[in-house]
Amino acid sequence: MPIVLQSYRPEHEPSVNEFNQRLRSAGADADLVFYESAEPRWLPATANPDLYNEFFLALDNGTVRGGYALKHQMFSFADGSIREVGYYHHPLSESIVNQAHAIVGGLLLRDAMQRSPLLYCLGMGGYDRPLPKMLARLGWSHCLIPFYFRIVHPARFLKEMQALRTSSGRRLLMNIAAYSGLGWVGLKAFQLLQRVRAPQSVVCQVDVIDEFGPWADELWQRSKDAYTLCAVRDCTTLRTLYPAGDRHFRRIRVRQHSKDIGWAVVGERRKDQKYGSLRVGSIIDCWASPQDAVPVIRAATEELEKTGVDLIVSNQSHGAWCGAMQAAGFLTAQSNFIFAASKPLAALLHPFDETRSRIHFTRADGDGLPRNF
Amino acid sequence: MPSILEQVRAIASDIFSVPLAQIHPESTPETIESWDSIQHLNLALTLEERFRVQLSPEEIEQMKDIGRIASLIEGKLQGTPS
Repeated sequence: MPIVLQSYRPEHEPSVNEFNQRLRSAGADADLVFYESAEPRWLPATANPDLYNEFFLALDNGTVRGGYALKHQMFSFADGSIREVGYYHHPLSESIVNQAHAIVGGLLLRDAMQRSPLLYCLGMGGYDRPLPKMLARLGWSHCLIPFYFRIVHPARFLKEMQALRTSSGRRLLMNIAAYSGLGWVGLKAFQLLQRVRAPQSVVCQVDVIDEFGPWADELWQRSKDAYTLCAVRDCTTLRTLYPAGDRHFRRIRVRQHSKDIGWAVVGERRKDQKYGSLRVGSIIDCWASPQDAVPVIRAATEELEKTGVDLIVSNQSHGAWCGAMQAAGFLTAQSNFIFAASKPLAALLHPFDETRSRIHFTRADGDGLPRNF
Repeated sequence: MPSILEQVRAIASDIFSVPLAQIHPESTPETIESWDSIQHLNLALTLEERFRVQLSPEEIEQMKDIGRIASLIEGKLQGTPS
């Protein structure tokens, strides 16, 4: 019986449950499960017709062999056009535990490409993972989106950052730096130097707001043409992504001389083993004209530091935002956050090697909003 | 005008990075080392683009050898069921 790709409906939920159980029984990572509910909890189609998720399944005579999610969202391009672009995420195939179903992974991707030729993938955990390997071999255009971090409490960082404390020698050195105060001195000197070197920005009015308002529309219209590719960030979209009342996010409005110049969304990440007991804040999303990136990142950083986080992280793709991160005392580290564009999407970004530094992608453009915060 | 089989052989040679002389109608994923599941998908996508046809998941699964692929494409172009 051939594999059939179709929309995930409530009557499929028992089969998806069985699929998840087969993966667990075969020893797959406990995190690798497909959505138990056919109706997306995050961005259901009923909320906003321009920004929503759909789920699809690969069915083998009624047995689920895999599935994927497709987020539909409007994007602005350098030619001024606004087009729907799909984000392919959470693909899962039974082939991870049974090679008899090796074809399923490719069929999932192909189905997504047929439904949404303008398609991207984001994140994916690094080039050693199966999906980015497949995309590269299929000729998708791709690049790493830089990762930035700012240590707020050096002693706690040195004592708790499990991802770095990977050998007894490292742990010893980090403990010495923590307890002697050398870590604090070195870091603060670096951050001061970065601050001195950075372009001095005019004093801004920074407000934490409960909800985005119509002012965001004017800011969006004024700034969008500076980017070769960016998700639409108008008021309606922002209210969908960061609804009023959702306390996981802090929305920051930044003004100069009473004029809106940008905004940022920050939040504290859920606990993650690699960070130990550190409280980790994230600059999740941000928007401004590129020349106003520095004050917006500074405002976002200061707001997160007020909440008492130990470490701040962010991914930024655009050169101006990357520069703003460095000016705010952020360091870079190896990124595993990949942006990959289907061939039709990459054609609209041609030449990709030139335009990629002017695309605007942040963590908000991935799938981590409900999971990580 | 090259035959469909010759065109399919050329596409396969390019995708699998194998000399054309080593691509036969009997060639299968078992006889061509670089013909793995990803390159199988790549082959299907390229065939669709080159011949402007749509392949169903069943047809992609049934692409077992080069000869069968060429017959599949011929059938598609003539409008006959595979």
